[in-house]
Amino acid sequence: MQTQLEKNFLNDFEKNQNIVHKICRIYTSNQDEHNDLFQEITIQIWKNYSKFRGESKFSTWMYRVSLNTAISLYRKSSRRIKTQDFSDVSFKIKSVDYDDTKDVQLKTLYNGIRELNDIDKALIFLYLEDKPYKEIAETLGITEVNARVKMNRTKEKLKKILNP
Amino acid sequence: MDLANYKKVWKNQPEEQNKISALEIYKMTQSKSNSTVKWIFIIGLLEFVFWFAINHLGTKNGALDPYKKLNLINFIENFNYFHYVVVVLFLILFYRNFSLISTVDNTKKLMTNILLVRKTVKWYVYYNLINVVVFSIILNILIFNTPDGINILSGIDNESFNQEHMKSVFIIVEIVLIAIMLLILWLFYYLLYGILLKKLNKNYK
Repeated sequence: MQTQLEKNFLNDFEKNQNIVHKICRIYTSNQDEHNDLFQEITIQIWKNYSKFRGESKFSTWMYRVSLNTAISLYRKSSRRIKTQDFSDVSFKIKSVDYDDTKDVQLKTLYNGIRELNDIDKALIFLYLEDKPYKEIAETLGITEVNARVKMNRTKEKLKKILNP
Repeated sequence: MDLANYKKVWKNQPEEQNKISALEIYKMTQSKSNSTVKWIFIIGLLEFVFWFAINHLGTKNGALDPYKKLNLINFIENFNYFHYVVVVLFLILFYRNFSLISTVDNTKKLMTNILLVRKTVKWYVYYNLINVVVFSIILNILIFNTPDGINILSGIDNESFNQEHMKSVFIIVEIVLIAIMLLILWLFYYLLYGILLKKLNKNYK
């Protein structure tokens, strides 16, 4: 028997689980690690869900908890396993207008982000998700100006990785 | 290709294929968290039990009997009590650090708290290593200052041995033993906490 709180949580979480999957994909390099991190993030979000007051959107709050879990609490070190890479299986699109080049570009982007350190990963992820600087600054606990400076540096790093 | 174009690719990426069902998510919420900081606390606790048991077994099996003859047992016991008090204080700190870490905080605050975890572990290891050195030095000075101390401890009670010669051999043996013990302890802590901290350290480089 699930409580109302549990029902609300499951509803909110299931709708937004794509965010968590994307975070797992940039912070891990194979499916096992992905699943481990996904589970840890789920536990962290559930554990703190009762404290979520709805002052911000659930998804905004979810970004913060998920990124923080990925940055600090994840026990297994991010081993760089090149074999059994999940990128081959994960991005297959079943639609008719399936575009292979887009798939390759997405793979390149993910691999590039994986080369960054954990904080830079968070910054670039929030940029790609189109989050305003105010929200990025709040999530990371830095000033907006600082967020802009750091973002520019991280973008430069990623550019170099993507276009060596 | 520039980042703006990559951003478009990112936005158009397909939805996750392996969606997790509500039931599976519910099952996950029922499982236990597996965080680094939690493991530091648990391992600290297990380590305490481990050393306590070793000490206890050593005392029971008569490992300390020669020291009784030298009237050094009080010093050893008091030093041990002091050590336990310090370790318990460290365990309290480990627990406090563990409860301070919250994924709801902003990342900067979280990182500051993680830095605290790292520092506490570092000081804990330093304390343990320094403790071994200080304890060994004081114990050796006490043995030296006890008449026939080395003879009683080594079990050799032969006056034909050159006492000065015995002393130099004893000092060399003790220095080598302390060095080996430090190396083993350092390796022990390196394996125990070094691997756990590796992930936490990476973000500060």
